[in-house]
Amino acid sequence: MVSRPPTEGELVERARRGDGAAFGALVRDHEELAFRTAYLITRNAADAEDAAQTGLTKAFYALPRFRRDEPIRPWLLAIVANEARNRRRGGGRREALALRAAHELPSAPADPAGAARSPEGRLLAAEERGELLAALEALGDDDRFVLSCRYLLDLSEAETAEVLSLRRGTVKSRTSRALERLRAHLEVEA
Amino acid sequence: MRELELRLAELREELVFPRTPRFELRLDRRPARIRRPLVVVLAAVAILAAGALALSPGARSAFLELFHLRGATVTLVDDLPEVESIRTLDLLGERVTRDEAERRIGFRLLDLGEPASIRFREGGIATLVYGAPDEPRLLLTQARGGLFDGFIRKSAGSGTEIVRVSVEGDPGLFVSGADHFVMFRNAEGAIDDELSFLAGTTILWNRGELLLRIEAEMTRAEAIELAQSVR
Repeated sequence: MVSRPPTEGELVERARRGDGAAFGALVRDHEELAFRTAYLITRNAADAEDAAQTGLTKAFYALPRFRRDEPIRPWLLAIVANEARNRRRGGGRREALALRAAHELPSAPADPAGAARSPEGRLLAAEERGELLAALEALGDDDRFVLSCRYLLDLSEAETAEVLSLRRGTVKSRTSRALERLRAHLEVEA
Repeated sequence: MRELELRLAELREELVFPRTPRFELRLDRRPARIRRPLVVVLAAVAILAAGALALSPGARSAFLELFHLRGATVTLVDDLPEVESIRTLDLLGERVTRDEAERRIGFRLLDLGEPASIRFREGGIATLVYGAPDEPRLLLTQARGGLFDGFIRKSAGSGTEIVRVSVEGDPGLFVSGADHFVMFRNAEGAIDDELSFLAGTTILWNRGELLLRIEAEMTRAEAIELAQSVR
C-alpha cells in the first residue's frame, strides 16, 4: 500500500495540535514567496528574513484562529507582510531591485515575427525592462505594493487583498489607478 | 493597459531577489507581540469638559468631523479638555463573569484568548482586560454600534495619526500617536459623560452590527493582526 503525502488540511490539523514538523512541512512551499513578499516591502534582505522568520513563527501560534476552509498561503503571507511593514518603518537601508543582465535574458521570447531575439533585441528589451522597473520604483508605496503583489509576486486579487489588508474591490481600483500612474511615468520618461 | 500588465508579468521573470534563506523556525517560544506594558489612563475630571465639547453648539462648530464607522465617529477638535489622570479600570464598569457579561450585553463576547478580567458598563459595553490587573497590556472593548465617539486633537504637531484600515474586509480606523479623548454614547444616543477617558494607540472596527475596539501598545500591522485574531 502506497501512502500519499498529507494534504494541506491534514497538515493544518496536525500543526494546530502543536506538531512543529507538520507546520514546517506546511510552510515549506511558501517560504520563498513569504521571503519575497517581505523583501518587496522592506527592501532589505536582513529585515525580510527577520520578518518572514518572525511572521511564520507567529503564524504557528495563531493557527487556532485560522479558518479551516480557507487557503493557508494568503493567510501566511498576510502575517509576514504585517511583520515586514513593521520593519520598514525602522528606516533601515533600502536595497534597489535588480534585474538579470541582458545576456542572461531568454534568447527566444516570441516576437511578432516568431523569430529568435537578436543580441541587439535583447539589449533593447533589457533597457525597456530597466525603464519599467525605474517607473515602478518611482510610484508611491500604495501603488507599488499593489502592483508588486499582483505582478511581481503573481498573487490573485483575493490574495493581494488579504496581504495588504484591503477590500478586494479596493485592490481592483487601486491596481487600475496604479497602472495608469505607471503608464504616465513611462510616457514622461519616454 | 493589458500590454503594460504583460510587461510587468515579464518583469517578474527578470527580477533578481536575494537568495531565500533557510528558515529555522523556533516554535518553542512565542514571539513577543506587544512590547511594552500599557498604562491605561482614565480621565476622571474630564467629564464636564467633555460634556461641553459634545453638547455646546459653539464648541461643536470648532469640530472638523473626520471619520465615520458604523456606530462610531472620530472627530478632530482644537483642544482636548484638561484632564487629571487616574489609573483605574473602575470606569470601565464593574467586574463580572463572562456568563454575566454575555447575559447582560446580549451576545457572545469575542476574545483574544482568556482575559484576566471582564468589565461591564451599563449601557451595553463590555471590556476584556488582558495583562496584570493593575497594569493591563490590552483592552478589547465591544458593544453594539452607536456607542462610541472619539475626539482627537486637531493641532498640528500633536502627533496623532488616523489611518483607515480594513480588518478582514470590514472598515476600521487605526489611531496612534498622541492620546485621544474617547466618549461613549448610551442606549439613547446621548454622550455618557461618566465613561470618557484618554486613550492611547487604538484600532476600532465594525464586525457585523458590533463595534470593536482594541487599545494597546502596538503598531498598525500588529493592530490589524490582533483585530483579525479576535474570535
